[in-house]
Amino acid sequence: MDLALPRSNPALSGTNAERGFKKAILRLVKGGPERLAIEAGQIDAIIDPVSGNAILLPEAQRALIERKVGFRSLIGLAFDWYWEQDERYRFVSHRGAADDADGSTEEGIIGKALWDLSIDNMSEADWRTHRQQLEWRVIFRDLEIRRADRAGEVRYLSISGEPIFDDRNQFKGYRGITRDITERKHAEALVGPHRLARTILDALAAPIAILDQDGVVLSANQAWRAFAATHSGIGTGVVAGSDYLAACDNACAAEQADGTAIAAGIRQVIGGERALFRYDYACDSAAGRSWFALSVTRITGNGNASAVLSCEDITERKRGELLLGLEFTVARCLADAGTAAAALQAVIRAICETQGWDCGRYFRLDQSAGVLRFAESWGVPSAVVGQFLEKSRGMVFRPGAGLAGRVCQSGQPLWVLGSTRGAGVSPTALAPETGENGACVFPVTAEDKVIGVLAFSSSDVGEPDDRMLQAVHSIGSQLGRFLLRQQTVDALRRSEARFRVLNDLTSDWYWEQDSDFRFTQVVGCSAFGAADILGMTHWDLPNVVPADGGWSEHKSQLAARWSFCDFEFATVQPGGTHAYYSICGEPVYDEAGAFTGYCGTGVDITKRKRAEIALRESEARLRALAGPSSD
Amino acid sequence: MVRKRKDRSASEPAAATAVVMVLYITDSGPNSLRAVANLEAICKEHLQDNFRLEIIDVLEYPLRALADGIVVTPSLAKLSPSPAATVVGNLSDRSGVLRALGIAE
Repeated sequence: MDLALPRSNPALSGTNAERGFKKAILRLVKGGPERLAIEAGQIDAIIDPVSGNAILLPEAQRALIERKVGFRSLIGLAFDWYWEQDERYRFVSHRGAADDADGSTEEGIIGKALWDLSIDNMSEADWRTHRQQLEWRVIFRDLEIRRADRAGEVRYLSISGEPIFDDRNQFKGYRGITRDITERKHAEALVGPHRLARTILDALAAPIAILDQDGVVLSANQAWRAFAATHSGIGTGVVAGSDYLAACDNACAAEQADGTAIAAGIRQVIGGERALFRYDYACDSAAGRSWFALSVTRITGNGNASAVLSCEDITERKRGELLLGLEFTVARCLADAGTAAAALQAVIRAICETQGWDCGRYFRLDQSAGVLRFAESWGVPSAVVGQFLEKSRGMVFRPGAGLAGRVCQSGQPLWVLGSTRGAGVSPTALAPETGENGACVFPVTAEDKVIGVLAFSSSDVGEPDDRMLQAVHSIGSQLGRFLLRQQTVDALRRSEARFRVLNDLTSDWYWEQDSDFRFTQVVGCSAFGAADILGMTHWDLPNVVPADGGWSEHKSQLAARWSFCDFEFATVQPGGTHAYYSICGEPVYDEAGAFTGYCGTGVDITKRKRAEIALRESEARLRALAGPSSD
Repeated sequence: MVRKRKDRSASEPAAATAVVMVLYITDSGPNSLRAVANLEAICKEHLQDNFRLEIIDVLEYPLRALADGIVVTPSLAKLSPSPAATVVGNLSDRSGVLRALGIAE
């Protein structure tokens, strides 16, 4: 502790009265040391040997007075009134700086107990509790009461008190302080709802901003501030005090259309033309593209606030819609495609355009060689991409080699993102030539087997979510089923083609009949015109002459549903000559086993038949010539 | 009115060497505050905890001072060890106080 010495010697610097007083004091003090100390100004008080009271010297008296004044001043800061009650709790003293403020003057309160005053916020139960406290002589703190002052204005008071006991420990009453807390209560009443509203607003996950009639942000919640700080595009950096409408109006490039639409909607809401405006738009951030559903609602009767903006993050839903749309697009491409190559190109293009990727390639698994071979590709019109795709032609991956080989081996999709691409990627891996940052490779499966791999390359390949993986799996399965079916169809076509070639070698035409043996289709027949034959039975045709046995035998064969072979007939030509034909046929049944008609082939045997006839005629002539000589 | 009283003793007092003192002061008079500070400094430096001090506010206990023969405040009375001694004033005379307490400088 370091206390300052008195600034001056009172014996030298005091007033005349003080000097006189000090002389009188010195007369009371007989001892030398005491007198010297008094002369040196080192004494605060002397003890009157007659009364035994301490007599303060001027310097000490001033110090004590100053200290008490300071103490009272400090105490005055802590309360507005000081009061005392007697043993029956009646006010005997009530003093304070604001005596006139609330009617709690000495005249109005002295002689009354607290519950005798007009206090309107205390119930009978409250008073019983308070009186019990007093009976128990406990210290009570911050008893809040409400009463009207002289002007009729409601005042809130906080009262604290402690019991008083005399030297014999006899209860003498209470003393305490009263503080006027009206302003605080009013402030709490005023600020409370606003604070609650702000707390709720900040707790909401959706970004929310309140606009005035000019489109300036009056207030924005925490989510909005975070949104404005982390996303690019409309709303970037728009916080309280910023002009949101101006930000929309000034949006450029890709956001211009969105900005114009949003600004128009907000103006309509503020102008009262509509109560609600909704708009979906996209924003980019470091985490990728996000979609938001903006809602603008109108506010009326609340000062400057004219509209509330709230943004709901609909990225997940939007991505789901896009991927669902992609799946539909892929299904439509597969349905419309005539060939596997066309289908592959259409699917790769649809995926690239939906995801914003640069190019994609399909590697077909060559089952016999056990390797992946480049099959099809599609890419955006770009020299670099074109060069990349051209280099890909002829590429072959063994299972386990490169991304495509690894995907083929594992049957699981692989994603290469940015810097991670270097790890574990062989020189034959996808996308190194283009310098792209990302690649997406996923299997094409059919009947639970990998039949190929789709590989996409782009700088925009991002982290796949569950929905994306689901879409990839779905597309891979759709495409795989299509390609497998297409392989079957192609095999069937090739088989049919081979059959037709063989058929063409052994027959001249093909025919079909219904269950009543009427011709329904004739292909390649030179004997009859289609108009002449369709709808007619064989035996109804004009100028047709059956060969051996006539029609009855042939009809009985047909009725018995027998196959027949080399049924020969002739037609009479306009010059009276005959043309000869031979047909084969077999019955046709539907899936239920019901007879539906006949189908078969026909061969023109006119040359052979005429040769046979000529041979027979020649033999007959020779026999006729040789007959008489032999006889 | 504040009653101000201090008692201090060594944690393991040695009865033969402990210095017993009474300081008479006047509430928060400037010389009284100075005397308390000076005495605390001397005790801390020379007596450590080997002392017992009682501080009497004469405004609160005037008759006690009168009974003890105290005429002015601040005054320091050394009661033991013998010989008893009294120092008056704010104890800024460090040598005088040490002599009264029987402490060699």
